[in-house]
Amino acid sequence: MKKIYIIAISLFFLSCNDVELIPASSLTVIEKINSYRGEKAVILNVWALWCAPCVEEFPMLVEFQKNNENLEVVFVNVDFQDEFENVKSFLVKQGLKSQSFIKNEKDDIFINGINGQWSGSLPYIIVFSKSKGVVVDSWEGKEPKSRFELAIDIALSS
Amino acid sequence: MYNILKYLTFFSLVFCSELEIGSVMPKSKVGLKTIDGDIINLLSVKGESGTLVIFSCNTCPWVIKWEDRYVDIAEKYTSKGINMIAINSNVAKFNGDDSLIKMKEHANKMKYNFIYAQDPDAEIANAFGATKTPHVFLFNQDNVLVYRGAIDDNARDAKKVDEAYLANAIDALLENRKIEKKSTKALGCSIKFN
Repeated sequence: MKKIYIIAISLFFLSCNDVELIPASSLTVIEKINSYRGEKAVILNVWALWCAPCVEEFPMLVEFQKNNENLEVVFVNVDFQDEFENVKSFLVKQGLKSQSFIKNEKDDIFINGINGQWSGSLPYIIVFSKSKGVVVDSWEGKEPKSRFELAIDIALSS
Repeated sequence: MYNILKYLTFFSLVFCSELEIGSVMPKSKVGLKTIDGDIINLLSVKGESGTLVIFSCNTCPWVIKWEDRYVDIAEKYTSKGINMIAINSNVAKFNGDDSLIKMKEHANKMKYNFIYAQDPDAEIANAFGATKTPHVFLFNQDNVLVYRGAIDDNARDAKKVDEAYLANAIDALLENRKIEKKSTKALGCSIKFN
């Protein structure tokens, strides 16, 4: 009985920590974003473990998602594929429960596939509106929380 | 609401546009501070056959992965008339990791064989639409932009490069051939403007 109890507890915690990290092309990422059109506003966050500002702003993005059921944050990691387990560990530590992606294309194809206007600088953010899925704001590099909040407000109401 | 959307779209477009291929080098007379304490400008760097400008810094992991190739490129092409400069526009870090002293230490450690200089107000980075490190701009002998973007397609390992974008562009420029890929992209660290 005690063994079953321990197994049940372990399974519970394992499932809580079971981050789904999916290798993805830019097309897969765009299709995922489009799937939320009419249902949720979306923030696309392209990040890497080696990118200090990306790591700094990550908890804030997780909080945005947790606090708003009408908002989905699509996290796309761009570390090398052999960093897969480190990326997964980071996501677990951040308490991320949703599906997450890791780039599996060459930079040039991936960057242009996501947005031709993006130079490749990290972190990279695009905010899409809830109703029509149009871009309400996008930027490269670190920006203050207020810019995120303004973009989210617009995305939720447009 | 519509006005806010217009403003945000305008903001994104204005501040994310790289210098167009075919443009004449902007801000070529703006002063740059070299690690040797000299004030120079891009006109003084200009080579007989062209000028290679790389926006760079001391600490970006992707610069560190790629910078072995900076040295190889300078070694191979300076003698062929392509002069090279690495510009540091990380204004927010000029009192820290990207100070002139640390830049000099970094250049010595990595055996830089080209000019390394600060862009004091990031005026040149802004004029070029440079957003990241490394970010490459190649100009021909008339100071017209002929290539921009990435060094090659493998930051991690020079031996596993499939396409040496920059070297291909320089070779084509020197041989008066058409540059097949005039613009490429790679990931990089954002320039720390403020």
